[in-house]
Amino acid sequence: MSALLAPGVTAGSLTDHVSALALRRHAPRWWWMAFIPSLCLLGLGVLAVGWLFLAGVGIWGIDWPVAWGFAIINYVWWIGIASGGTFISAFFFLMRVDWRTALNRTAESMMLCAAASAAVFPILHLGRPWLFYWLFPYPATMRLWPQFRSPLLWDFFAILTYVVSSLLFWYLGLIPDLASVRDRARRRWQQVFYGCLALGFRGSVREWRHYRASYGVLAAIMAPLVVSVHSIVGLDFAGGQTPGWHSTQFPPFFVFGAALSGLAMVVLIVVPLRALMDLRRYITPYHLDVLGKLLLTSALLVGYAYLMDAFSTFYGAESADMTMFMDRVAGVYAPVYYSTLVLNVLAPLVLAARRLRRQPAVLSLVAAGTIVGMWLERYEIVVTSLHKTHLPSSWGGFTATFWDWATLAGSVGLFMTLLLLILRFLPVISVSEMRGLLERRR
Amino acid sequence: MPPLKDEVARLPPAALAEAERMARQDGKLSAALAHPLERRRILTLLASGAIAGPLGRCDPGAADRHLYSAAEAPEGIVPGRTERFATAHLLEGHARGIVVTHRMGRPLKVEGNPGHPASLGGTDPFAQAALFDLYDPDRASGPLQGGEPVAPARVATMFAALRADLAASRGRGFRILTEPLTSPSLGRMLDTVLARWPEARWHQHAPLPRSAAFAGAMAAYGKPLSVLPNPAAADVILGLDSDLLDAWPWQLPAARGFASRRNPVRAPMSRVYAIEPTPSLLGLQADHRFAVGSVELHRIAGLLAAGLLQGAVPADGPPWLVPLLSDLKDHHGRALVHVGPHQPAALHALCHAMNAALGAPGNTLTLCAPALHHPVDPGTDLRDLVEDMAAGKVETLLVLGGNPCFIAPDFLAALGRVRRAIAACDAPNETALACGWYVPLAHAMEAWSDARALDGTAGICQPQLRPLYAGQNPLSVLGQCLEAVPDSRAWLRATWRDRLPDDRAWQAALAAGVIAGTTFPTLAATLRPAAASTGMAGTGMAGTGTAGASPGLDVSFRADARLGDGQYANNPWLQELPDPLTKTAWDNPLRLPPRLAGRLHARDGDLVTLGIGDRRVTLPCWIVPGQAEGCVVATLGQGRRTGSTARGVGTDLYPLRLARGAVDIRRVGGRREVACTMGQAEMTAEAGDILRRIDLSDFQAGARPDHVGGDGSLYHRAPPGPAAWAMSIDLNACIGCNACVTACQVENNIPVVGREEVLRGRVMHWIRIDRYETGSFSAFQPVLCMQCEQAPCETVCPVGATVHDAEGLNGMVYNRCVGTRFCSNNCPYKVRRFNYFAFAAEERRPPASRNPDVTVRGRGVMEKCSFCLQRIAAARVAHDRDGVPEHAETACQAACPTRAISFGDLNDAQAEVRARKRSPLDYALLPEQNTRPRVTYEARVSNRNPAAGT
Repeated sequence: MSALLAPGVTAGSLTDHVSALALRRHAPRWWWMAFIPSLCLLGLGVLAVGWLFLAGVGIWGIDWPVAWGFAIINYVWWIGIASGGTFISAFFFLMRVDWRTALNRTAESMMLCAAASAAVFPILHLGRPWLFYWLFPYPATMRLWPQFRSPLLWDFFAILTYVVSSLLFWYLGLIPDLASVRDRARRRWQQVFYGCLALGFRGSVREWRHYRASYGVLAAIMAPLVVSVHSIVGLDFAGGQTPGWHSTQFPPFFVFGAALSGLAMVVLIVVPLRALMDLRRYITPYHLDVLGKLLLTSALLVGYAYLMDAFSTFYGAESADMTMFMDRVAGVYAPVYYSTLVLNVLAPLVLAARRLRRQPAVLSLVAAGTIVGMWLERYEIVVTSLHKTHLPSSWGGFTATFWDWATLAGSVGLFMTLLLLILRFLPVISVSEMRGLLERRR
Repeated sequence: MPPLKDEVARLPPAALAEAERMARQDGKLSAALAHPLERRRILTLLASGAIAGPLGRCDPGAADRHLYSAAEAPEGIVPGRTERFATAHLLEGHARGIVVTHRMGRPLKVEGNPGHPASLGGTDPFAQAALFDLYDPDRASGPLQGGEPVAPARVATMFAALRADLAASRGRGFRILTEPLTSPSLGRMLDTVLARWPEARWHQHAPLPRSAAFAGAMAAYGKPLSVLPNPAAADVILGLDSDLLDAWPWQLPAARGFASRRNPVRAPMSRVYAIEPTPSLLGLQADHRFAVGSVELHRIAGLLAAGLLQGAVPADGPPWLVPLLSDLKDHHGRALVHVGPHQPAALHALCHAMNAALGAPGNTLTLCAPALHHPVDPGTDLRDLVEDMAAGKVETLLVLGGNPCFIAPDFLAALGRVRRAIAACDAPNETALACGWYVPLAHAMEAWSDARALDGTAGICQPQLRPLYAGQNPLSVLGQCLEAVPDSRAWLRATWRDRLPDDRAWQAALAAGVIAGTTFPTLAATLRPAAASTGMAGTGMAGTGTAGASPGLDVSFRADARLGDGQYANNPWLQELPDPLTKTAWDNPLRLPPRLAGRLHARDGDLVTLGIGDRRVTLPCWIVPGQAEGCVVATLGQGRRTGSTARGVGTDLYPLRLARGAVDIRRVGGRREVACTMGQAEMTAEAGDILRRIDLSDFQAGARPDHVGGDGSLYHRAPPGPAAWAMSIDLNACIGCNACVTACQVENNIPVVGREEVLRGRVMHWIRIDRYETGSFSAFQPVLCMQCEQAPCETVCPVGATVHDAEGLNGMVYNRCVGTRFCSNNCPYKVRRFNYFAFAAEERRPPASRNPDVTVRGRGVMEKCSFCLQRIAAARVAHDRDGVPEHAETACQAACPTRAISFGDLNDAQAEVRARKRSPLDYALLPEQNTRPRVTYEARVSNRNPAAGT
């Protein structure tokens, strides 16, 4: 148990430290060094989206037969990354795991930012984005309803629910900490700002009872939701008849992939933060060890899914499926497939060694690899499957354009900007839960 | 009148700017500006422009020059009703009958004229796409003098001066240049002009002259004649570099007859052999196709002729020659040998002799007098003119139609010696800009004319609308060389006074599109005894074409299958049409045989330099399997220097055609990507169950293409509607001619996307013609929306923008589409097309030229074949109103010259499609997808000669 916290951490010192981080007058140099490039990327993204709305989705590399491209790849990638926060905060909360408390705020913030980055893509993806609300079952004068058999509609509901629930879950968890920060704030604007956000939370027993009950309920909702949202993202593909998509294993496969990339993103954020915000006292090598093990487990799960993908293709023995698979392993996009295997399955295997996974550098490197690997995996699913389907006459290719990359960069910019703002102004560690941990330790 | 400088100077600057802007647009104004004495008219024009500007270009009004308000609609034009008028579309001067459909007085669609012998209801892509040329805004230019706009009155002045000169010189130094023509009225006009000015001369030119056929007929029969092949009567057809199914004046009836004997379910099947250097449409349909170079082709033709005419057994021929020879001999009177225009005269003479020996005349082919007015060899005729021009013997040259400056660079060079060159063309093309004067001609659909089909059948070509851009009828242009300019229609009536004496006969001829009794009688010509020997001697010689000097490398110049000789290069519909053979669009790569490309280490799109003598042209290459080694095909017609669409597209190869000397091909660094809708890798991919084929012998033994029995479903979810629309496509009949693709594009307002977008795979055609090739077997497969009963696209659309109707149609609701594109991903046939950009809005044609029955799709919307829903709706309306049977014909079906496409109501016991669906050859594409498509195919049957090997 002692590995969970550095010795000498008390409830008071913890609260002071975390509140001071949020209340400090000037942001540290590293923050600006990260924030300015993030803003630039975001600006590029805004430019790309503006041009997209003016000119149409034709500015991207999508074509015939590859009618889906970066928008869908990025969407699936970001929503998968978002899952990391939900896994850590909701799943492990329900399982009363102690090590979660030091990580969950960062993970949840990351989840929210990733979900925001993900949520823009389904709209950008549309040929006529200004009509996106037609997916919503509202009482239109034409008495038209959405078409409920479409996986895209399920996806629309799933992501809407997920984003809203994530926001609520994250915000509810923040309330006691916001109250602590409010109480320590000296400057007027900070008092007002945090005071408003804290919604008048005073820490009475009744408030705590209500708080704990709602948090538990939300966690119980979020845990199945993260599974369902990724299953439905999987169904976006599996619901189609396209070779390479039409597979019953897609829903769990997408959950595995989401867990892998989500946990990797948690690692990628937590490791530098330990150093930059002096959080080593709360996020110890033990936490890294746990994250490493989780990463390894999800990599093995993903590896299993890859294996089953190959197996079911040959077991099914449908010619179009086999053509598609052979193309995946030996065609023009084969490097993508092999990179996926290496980055998502083989490289994480080094984490089996305890010594290696406790090293922040190794862990970060593997995590960064899987983030890239998971993007490539989605590229492979979307592009490789579509470019060679049943009829040879409709075979084609896909080449990403500058605007594809600009939109991807813009989504990274959006993610980073939001995350840095949260890290700057909100408590980075869940003080209230850490205090509970300290009390239990006593 | 003194120049009114002050008045102009006192105009406010804005008005001057407006005057300048209008001067650029309005020929009249610039003409007035050019004339100092007419300055007062500037103010008049400015004032009228200020009033008329907001109203747009006013209609010139009715014949009495009165404008009527819309409340008093023009007689005979009922909103919403279609009118149909017969006329003809010309190819190499010969008529193929068409019927033009009008809405609200606007011609909007071309169909074949079933009563016209050269159409039989079918059309080709050129006729289908002619409407773009009619509406082409490029034509909106008044007369030009030296490239500058002039008032039409100046043209009249110029003609008056010309008449004065002619009167002085009796026509000496006056030359008229036309393309070969069949029009009796224009011919009569020419004869009248030449009779009035006896020293004037008339020359003919054709971009790709059929000189060899002309000379071959002269050698064989001693007079020019036309051959009308009748493949419907032929059991065995041998094509020697044949263009039987390619674009030529008798293509449509030949293709119909050919296809009628290619499906063993409906008629005894013919057997087709093709011996050719590069794949022709006949070769791609052939049961046996042998790729041989020109020299070898001549040798083989000689051996064949020896076998047929002298009974000699070919000793050193290829192994398949003897079986081929005996197959021909066994079918005396039922065999046909056809030779294409790229082969020398000797081979044509030999072909006449072989056909005579096989008893073909009167059975599988008909000989008749040529329909052309004074047929000559247009190649030599133009050369004479160019020599005279260069020698300074030509004072005045009137170019009537065509574009000789583009197709004959030597003509362009000699043009400088002509004092007064007048180009009367249908657009300001190369010739128009090179000549001193340009007189805009009316489009063929804007002028009274007449024309004969290859078999002599004449028809009146009636104008479909008032000239859109004030073009003149060729008859009246020519008429201005006479003192009294006759009215074109009256001139026409006078030409046909004997046949069509009264208005009733005239109206009947206009309505029918043909003049009864004008078909030429069969020509009882006797073969000259020397024909065979001349032919034999001729074919023994070395190769043809310009590159004869270089053994081993033969450059064959051929017309682009989509652009003709270049006259259609400014038509975006045809530019974007994939070539039947290579499936390339918007370019004319040099076609190389695979081994030569291998030697050059060239891949598709690599730049190569083709040099003949001292002339060189650099262009991308394209590898064509099935092209004989040593044969390089250069397609003509691209690389135009004028026209907003044509300019800068492809490479002009006409300059090389005149070059003489050694041929060499070298690869130069660099590439130019060639837009292509189906690459070689896809064509040669395993087509297995997709394009099913079966040998005739197996079929007769009871074998059938695998049919997935039943639908494997417990549910019977067939749409309940009163009609069940369905289609059957006979793969044996599809010759890949592309008529359906263009017809669909015109009918359904399908936008053109341009080369860049085709390169990115965003072509919009709703029907595409896939081509598959395995070894020597090759076939076309038209693919359009299969209208699946269980359509995968419908389940995945989140907003229900694609839905099923009760009659089995898979409808696409453009208004509802938000553009998720999932439907396209989920379509196993990939027949859905997406508007990645606002393609329709960027099109270079007036909105008035679009089909008002079909929604024009905006940006971000999916679209696809609707089975011509608007035509079905029209049929339903007609049925409900008049009680006529609900008979609808899709645009692709109507255009198809071979009747490969059959469409109709499966619930109608009389429907042809119902019978075709019961054909033992019927199969569905990708049946394992369980989509229950309403479109099915009849498998391709090969009638191979077992003795002839593979």
